Amino acid sequence: MTDALVTVAGLHKSFGDLEVLKGINFEVSRGEVIAIIGPSGSGKTTMLRCVNLLERPTAGRIEVDGRVLCEELPDGSMRFSNKAEIRGIREHVGMVFQRFNLFPHMTALENVIEAPMAVKRLSKTDARARAHELLESVGLGHKADSYPLQLSGGQQQRVAIARALAMDPALMLFDEVTSAVDPELAGEILLVMKRLAQEGMTMLVVTHEMGFAAEVADRVLFIDHGLVVEEGPARQVLAEPRNPRTQAFLRAVLERAPMAEEGEEIPQGQAEQGSDDAAS
Amino acid sequence: MDWNVVVESFPLIWKGASITLSLFAWSLAIGTLLGLAVALMKLSPAKPLTWFATGFSWLFRGIPLLILLFYAFFALPEAGVLLSPFWAAVLGLSLWTAAYQAEVIRSGIIAVDHGQAEASDALGMTRGHSMRRIIIPQGIRIMIPPFTSNATTLLKQTSLATLVTVPEMTLLTQRIFSNNFKFIEPIFVLAVIYLAMTTVLVIGQQIAERTFRLKT
Repeated sequence: MTDALVTVAGLHKSFGDLEVLKGINFEVSRGEVIAIIGPSGSGKTTMLRCVNLLERPTAGRIEVDGRVLCEELPDGSMRFSNKAEIRGIREHVGMVFQRFNLFPHMTALENVIEAPMAVKRLSKTDARARAHELLESVGLGHKADSYPLQLSGGQQQRVAIARALAMDPALMLFDEVTSAVDPELAGEILLVMKRLAQEGMTMLVVTHEMGFAAEVADRVLFIDHGLVVEEGPARQVLAEPRNPRTQAFLRAVLERAPMAEEGEEIPQGQAEQGSDDAAS
Repeated sequence: MDWNVVVESFPLIWKGASITLSLFAWSLAIGTLLGLAVALMKLSPAKPLTWFATGFSWLFRGIPLLILLFYAFFALPEAGVLLSPFWAAVLGLSLWTAAYQAEVIRSGIIAVDHGQAEASDALGMTRGHSMRRIIIPQGIRIMIPPFTSNATTLLKQTSLATLVTVPEMTLLTQRIFSNNFKFIEPIFVLAVIYLAMTTVLVIGQQIAERTFRLKT
């Protein structure tokens, strides 16, 4: 797979004195689904937000769909795309947020048609037709005229997914999209994402849903303290983690909530075994 | 009590009231638009704009309205700018109210959850578009009560235009005093009319709050 849609190289990000990302490298091929896991504060969300420049890296190079978002110049300074170029890239990169960020003064349908009309200059008729299709596809065809606050968290998040898809993105970024909804509603969001993955969407998914990662992701990146500590096929990283920190993390996650029903099971013994090493 | 005086002077009071209202309407419209511009400058990443906006607020909130009116009426002609009393008053009132509206608008904008701007950015919208369609419409809900406060104050402060000879309601009512030596009745009517006008604003606030309430 040489067809990289996203290339991230030497990505650093500091907030003041705090270095959150310490040199992240990875590639995403077209159609690939990558789950990004790691403890809170590990930098995984910051890393995701760098991919559409919601955060500006302090060093490193990011390329999306053949376009360079930012790169380091020989003198060590950073060169960023200009505003119009960044908008052009964001048009093709959908993002779904932990807290939905739907526009509360607009109906579900209005949320979905706003950007296609404003950014892609779609006619209202076309935008509405497409929005109805998308809302239907996330199971909310009947909620098109509801306002966000009239919907459950799970429904709001599915509208947010439809809103991002309405731009026909080449890449979708998911930032802990089930963390702010009731556990029993997470499933309906994950189902939509799973179908999206099956349809061939390229996805970068920051998540705590290990069951989802195991079942849907092609690859898993484990991030800790601003570095990719372990990376590999989902089944391998989740079932037979090699790095002690990955092992410790998975053990902690699994002790709190057993691994999801369907899909992979993680051998409990394996994870526990790793914890001794992790303590060092 | 001799209400005849009031009844006889009614056309005069009516005329004054209409001038009061147009002073108010012009100053509110110009002041709010100017206030919006100042608020956006204050929020802009461009330092010179921020400085300008900060200076504007500092200046026009820091000087008494009456002195601004005197400047517009007495000092501008010296500089070769000759405005009628009415427009001189509108100028002073607009600058004064703009400084306050700017703060109301700015605080409304920054009160909108930052996630809204991020979602707009992530969708590839321009800053202008997301301001116009996403941020400001939500900010308005927050701005309504302090905006109405400012508007109510402005309406009452138009009475200061009396001192730069604008024939608005307060000035014309004073004319009734001097013609008839009756004070109590005209001044009572004057208060009632101001109260009626500000009541309309308060009702407007309630309607606006209902209109912009988020649907739940």
